[in-house]
Amino acid sequence: MSPSHRGCEGCPVHASANLAKLGVDMNRWDFLVALGGNPNTGKSTVFNALTGLRQHTGNWPGKTVAKAEGGYEFAGRRYKLVDLPGTYSLLATTVDEQIARDFILSGQPDVTVIVVDATRLERNLNLVLQVQEITDRVVVCLNLMDEARRHGLAIDDRQLARDLGVPVVPITARQGVGLDRLIATVAEVASGKLISRPRQIADPQVQEPGQSAERPDQRIDGNRHAQSVEASYAEAARLAGRAVRQAEAQPRFDLDRAIDRVVTSRVWGFPIMLLLLAGVFWVTITGANVPSRLLGTFLLETVHPWLREAAADLGVAAWLRGVLIDGMYLATAWVISVMLPPMAIFFPLFTLLEDFGYLPRIAFNLDTLFKRAGAHGKQSLTMAMGFGCNAAGVISARIIDSPRERLIAILTNNFALCNGRWPTQILIATLFLGALVPARLAGAVSALAVVGVAVLGVGLTFAVSWLLSRTVLRGEVSAFSLELPPYRPPRVLKTLYRSVADRTVYVLWRAIVFALPAGAVIWIVANLQLGGVSLAERLIEMLNPFGLVLGLNGVILLAFVAAIPANEIVIPTILMLTVLVSQLSGVGAGAGVMFQLESGAGTLAILRAGGWTLLTGVNVMLFSLLHNPCSTTIATIYKETGSKRWALVSVLLPLGIGLLLTGLVAQLWRLVAAGLTS
Amino acid sequence: MTFVTVVSGRARASSGWRGKLRRIELTHPMESFQILLALLAAGCALAIAAALFWPERGWLGRWRSRRRQMQLEDCLKYLHTAELESVPATLPGLSAARRISLSLAAEILLNLERLGFVERKASAIQLTPAGRRRALLVLRAHRLWERYLADETGYRELEWHKQAEKQEHRLTPPELEALAARLQNPTYDPHGDPIPTRAGETPPQSGMPLATAPLDTPLRIAHIEDEPEPTYAELLAVGLSPGMELQVVERSAAQMRIRVGQDEHILRPPVAANLLVEPQPGTGVQAAQARLSDLRVGQRGAVVDIAQGCRRIERRRLQDLGVLPGTVIEAEFASPSSDPVAYRIRGALIALRREQAAHILVDRLEDTRES
Repeated sequence: MSPSHRGCEGCPVHASANLAKLGVDMNRWDFLVALGGNPNTGKSTVFNALTGLRQHTGNWPGKTVAKAEGGYEFAGRRYKLVDLPGTYSLLATTVDEQIARDFILSGQPDVTVIVVDATRLERNLNLVLQVQEITDRVVVCLNLMDEARRHGLAIDDRQLARDLGVPVVPITARQGVGLDRLIATVAEVASGKLISRPRQIADPQVQEPGQSAERPDQRIDGNRHAQSVEASYAEAARLAGRAVRQAEAQPRFDLDRAIDRVVTSRVWGFPIMLLLLAGVFWVTITGANVPSRLLGTFLLETVHPWLREAAADLGVAAWLRGVLIDGMYLATAWVISVMLPPMAIFFPLFTLLEDFGYLPRIAFNLDTLFKRAGAHGKQSLTMAMGFGCNAAGVISARIIDSPRERLIAILTNNFALCNGRWPTQILIATLFLGALVPARLAGAVSALAVVGVAVLGVGLTFAVSWLLSRTVLRGEVSAFSLELPPYRPPRVLKTLYRSVADRTVYVLWRAIVFALPAGAVIWIVANLQLGGVSLAERLIEMLNPFGLVLGLNGVILLAFVAAIPANEIVIPTILMLTVLVSQLSGVGAGAGVMFQLESGAGTLAILRAGGWTLLTGVNVMLFSLLHNPCSTTIATIYKETGSKRWALVSVLLPLGIGLLLTGLVAQLWRLVAAGLTS
Repeated sequence: MTFVTVVSGRARASSGWRGKLRRIELTHPMESFQILLALLAAGCALAIAAALFWPERGWLGRWRSRRRQMQLEDCLKYLHTAELESVPATLPGLSAARRISLSLAAEILLNLERLGFVERKASAIQLTPAGRRRALLVLRAHRLWERYLADETGYRELEWHKQAEKQEHRLTPPELEALAARLQNPTYDPHGDPIPTRAGETPPQSGMPLATAPLDTPLRIAHIEDEPEPTYAELLAVGLSPGMELQVVERSAAQMRIRVGQDEHILRPPVAANLLVEPQPGTGVQAAQARLSDLRVGQRGAVVDIAQGCRRIERRRLQDLGVLPGTVIEAEFASPSSDPVAYRIRGALIALRREQAAHILVDRLEDTRES
């Protein structure tokens, strides 16, 4: 039991003031620090705590694994921190392990910090011992000390440091405890003030795994690998046994187990899961309603006219006003007002579940279903995330480390009905399907229709996953692994901050980047006159025949093309174009200006004037589910897979299915209708 | 405006072209521009034809030579196999084995003779040392490729042979050496067959057919024949792979009963004929070995080993997670569908699918803990 953290404030070495988070300039630094460790050890928490959220993220050169770099300053020196992928060992079986090993060997960090989970010391020490084979300058960061205490474990870090021969610093990254000592220790090792004599098990495999002359009688594969792992594990077990003392009663341990028994039981498992997921969705939808409307009113009905007036007063030319304010600003404002509130609710809720430790249990429960489709149980999580935002869902596919299953999860994520498409679905369902039934059933029927479309998306995810795993992705490597971390009480405030900063802001920023030019394009297309008619009308005329075959029309197709950057603007664009083409008067805000009406009846009138029938409504719902991903998602897919080919597949696959399905439905519908009337 | 012009322009273009052609036919002198165009078109057509049909170097020529090489090498393989099995190689035999006509077989043999790979003594067809080396090279390529597919890709067992059959002719010697280095010079392919070295030596292939193996003795599988495919599929379905241990319990003319671990299986003689086994050295107690997937929730087992059928990447991942001889694993709880199951391995809770747990051989431990 270390006397630790309470005394930090009074200590002269306590130098939190010295800790300035560097900006994104990674080019000048004094010392290079590598941060490694097993997955699920809180490594990212340590990384974030040391560098603040001003990090630079990218990919490792030539690979599609994410790389994070950041920096901090201490006692006048700058430290560049590189986050290595989480690995179980360094023996280079997977890409992650190769990257970690190569960086420690050839990147020549001044210090290598290994983050170790104090509650699973034996397993984690395996990696530490392997790292010590390669480099002397190691600092072991013993994280999750609060969890260890909760489980009644007492860890003698001094004994461990003596045995390992390197400094061991106990911390609790989540609470920010012990970080000072960690930074000071890193500084001492980097500057050479502290010299460690790491204990080595003298196994040559880690240093040169490439060479091995197999004996002719060696039929058993992987013998060499087994031997070195056995050696390091044996040593790890011995050291852990000396350092860890288990307190007598472990009530908390049983709590974890009890929760697991309930959450994965045959009777309660699925109901709990469905209830929680349904709860998250319900809270998101209802919770976002009011803020969305408020935001919309503010940005669109207050700021927008104000901007227009201001521009007019300043004497800005009409066309410039149009492009900038009616086009660019309007599109961006629309995207923000529709996208921001649901995401600000959905992501934190999801992250809370993740922090709590429940999410892997969902993957655990659903894995058998996904296995039959050739996918991984964790795809349930990426799908759930995709229901919030497809781009975030694609990024979250990083939790799947098996290459084939990860690709499947990425390529099928678009079939999850993202936040941006819900307004379209709900509106059309209410106007067209809800209107078919008596008023008191209307709400239920339209809700059912939307759920039906979402379920269709889920069904297609399974079908397409199965198809991909049997055809295109047949030869890719597949290795299932799922670790179930212990339950931890979530840190609500930190979670909110992290999920807002990490996911919401990122997605929002990307959306704005794409929405601005999209708005400009929409305005220009609607206002550029060619031979007396706007470009938009010419395009619509061209697309109309094709659209009618699909049970849609030219307006809808053009709107979907224009809305590639953001699904949220489909309906406003449709309305604007319909008014433009049908030359309705008294509605809308002018050519190129997107709008939406409060009244459902008004919207319905416009659509009917545009030639919409029930078939059109149904097919728009289907096409909204099954068309190409939004540009943010495509860009994210390209970045995550590092391959233009897969980005192309991700575009063509849902689009192809969408065109096929809508065409089929249209033809059948017309056949049936013709049959009924004849 | 451009749009409008293009549309109607296209409509008129066809009549214009035909009109022009009519005008050419009516002895109207051609404009130099048209002559140039015609020459260019002819030039392009010639270039394409050359690329396709040029003897030896054109696309067609190269395809033909590739096919020839394939045929030659396949015949060498047949001759080599015949030599190994001490069966005399004959022309009809070659024609039947490779499913080609007698005349084609004869032509190929002639080519082989000319190249110095084959010599005919009396009526016997024999490989020269050069021919033997070439055949071994092809065999090496085949088995190395199978090893690659087994270790580094996700292709299933049934697909290895087909792919290797194609790839063995395509790998050039430098590519082959690079592949061998990358796989760390393995000596056996995933079926248990020895891989010839670069120098042309072959590690020993031991083993006796299952039909002649002694009853009730611990045996291990030395080799599984991967042709014909349906038979191989049957053996795979039983879950057999090289290195596995089994015992023959009963043998009759109609069938053979074997015990693998705690399961018994019945094999038909033609299927059993595709297995080569050898006596298992050592104590031989391991024949009836429990697997992790046999443990029920709450039970514990001590790991003995990871079964041979486990592929390399999977095996390494399990080892990295701590599944090593001696590790005690407890099955803590199962998912609602009983698969996967969460196991406590060295302090961590790891979920394994049934087929993964089936690869881990354990000794059951007394259940002392209350659940």
